[in-house]
Amino acid sequence: MHRQIVRRAGAERETLWVLLAAGAILASATLAVGLRAAPDAEAPLAAHLIDSRTGLTAAEQGLYADLKAAGEEIAALREAQGRAPTPEELAAEALPPFAADPSAAARGGHAWTLAGTGDETGDGIAYAGVSAAPELAGSLVLRLDGHGAAIWLKRAAEVPPAPPEDTALTAAGWKRIVSTFTAGVTR
Amino acid sequence: MSLFSNRRPNRRLILAGALAAAAMPVCAVAAPAGRRRFGVTLHPYYSYVANIVGDAAEVVPIIPAGFNPHAYEPRPEDIQRIGGLDAIVLNGIGHDDFAGRMIAASAKPSLPVVESNADVPLLPAAGMAARAAGKVVNPHSFLSITNSVLQVATIARELGRLDPANAATYAANARAYSRRLRQLRADALAKLATAGTASLRVATIHGAYDYLLREFGLEVSAVVEPAHGIEPSPAQLAETIATMRKLDVQVIFSELNFPSAYVETIRRETGIRLYAFSHISHGDYAADLFEREMARNLDTLVLAMAEAAP
Repeated sequence: MHRQIVRRAGAERETLWVLLAAGAILASATLAVGLRAAPDAEAPLAAHLIDSRTGLTAAEQGLYADLKAAGEEIAALREAQGRAPTPEELAAEALPPFAADPSAAARGGHAWTLAGTGDETGDGIAYAGVSAAPELAGSLVLRLDGHGAAIWLKRAAEVPPAPPEDTALTAAGWKRIVSTFTAGVTR
Repeated sequence: MSLFSNRRPNRRLILAGALAAAAMPVCAVAAPAGRRRFGVTLHPYYSYVANIVGDAAEVVPIIPAGFNPHAYEPRPEDIQRIGGLDAIVLNGIGHDDFAGRMIAASAKPSLPVVESNADVPLLPAAGMAARAAGKVVNPHSFLSITNSVLQVATIARELGRLDPANAATYAANARAYSRRLRQLRADALAKLATAGTASLRVATIHGAYDYLLREFGLEVSAVVEPAHGIEPSPAQLAETIATMRKLDVQVIFSELNFPSAYVETIRRETGIRLYAFSHISHGDYAADLFEREMARNLDTLVLAMAEAAP
């Protein structure tokens, strides 16, 4: 006798397939997310470094940019004169931050001196700016060695060690200012 | 470190018509033999490059004058213009991000790019643009004398690498131009009889002026516009006015050529003095445009400081 089983109407099978498909999608998505490389965690800055974007006051940010820009002009003057220009000569050139203009007082009223030339600073020049108002902007050192500018900061009205070399500055609590270039986020 | 970069093709779709047009042969008028053609995207960069190269090269704006770079969308004829360039000078930090897509779609996807801001100490974006823990930067580095000097030096150095025959000319021109820019700042400050107060509390309508204000030791207390060209909602406006009162803001800097009804509301409600800066993004491209507009901006800033002084 032929017997045929007729299943009752229902959606169990379809439901099962839908649930299996959903599970497969969820599993593959979880796998994809898990395998995706996490962004590299940024290493914290060394203790003797300070970030120009996040670690400086408004006045310090302005001074730092001025000192970076001053490097090329100082190098050109040095080549023309055959010696390192004095802070007074740089002020006469209206070169910020050496120029004693009304903005200088608003940014700490730094007193600039030539802090070393020649062998002392590795064939370069160094200028020290002692702040009259460290709460606005700390004291600064600009060091030029022919390969660019190194700028150091200490939030105190303090003369830097002589000669202002890395080791001596770090030991005295000075921090080197660093900046990073970040291209447009939608490029 | 070389600042030239070859961009990865952007995945964002560009209009098929633009792609087709860009693929067509470039019909640009040939420059004199040996005379390079350098592209720029924004008005300040036209002024920088024009002053650096003088007559030794041609400066080609890839966006026609009259377009607002904040709302610019690439057009086929502009993409086509890129095919006739030897290099392009970019702001590169958010004000001309459209250029990457245009270069990728052009006949010269490997066009050398000069990153003008590579040596500029960048500031975090302000207002609503501020995110990613300071990784999104304020792209208005050109609204500053010092940062312009830094960019001019970078551009001259990199163009000199591309065009060694004229490298010395570019370097000399850049130095002369930088001295003129510094003199603008000195002349403006000479008009300020007394030292500007570092405690001047400033609000800006558009978060574009941080770099300029840093040169004077000033910090922005509040930014009014959520994003450039987007007016605040009534609730945001009320909150902004309350914030300004709380911070005892003395001066508001708005933007020329963008008159907004709500700015007058703020001024009326708070009684704070209002001054307008130029964004240097309007008018014809000209070698002296940056100097003219920045001289006006510096005069405006000095006037605001003088009038706010006790």
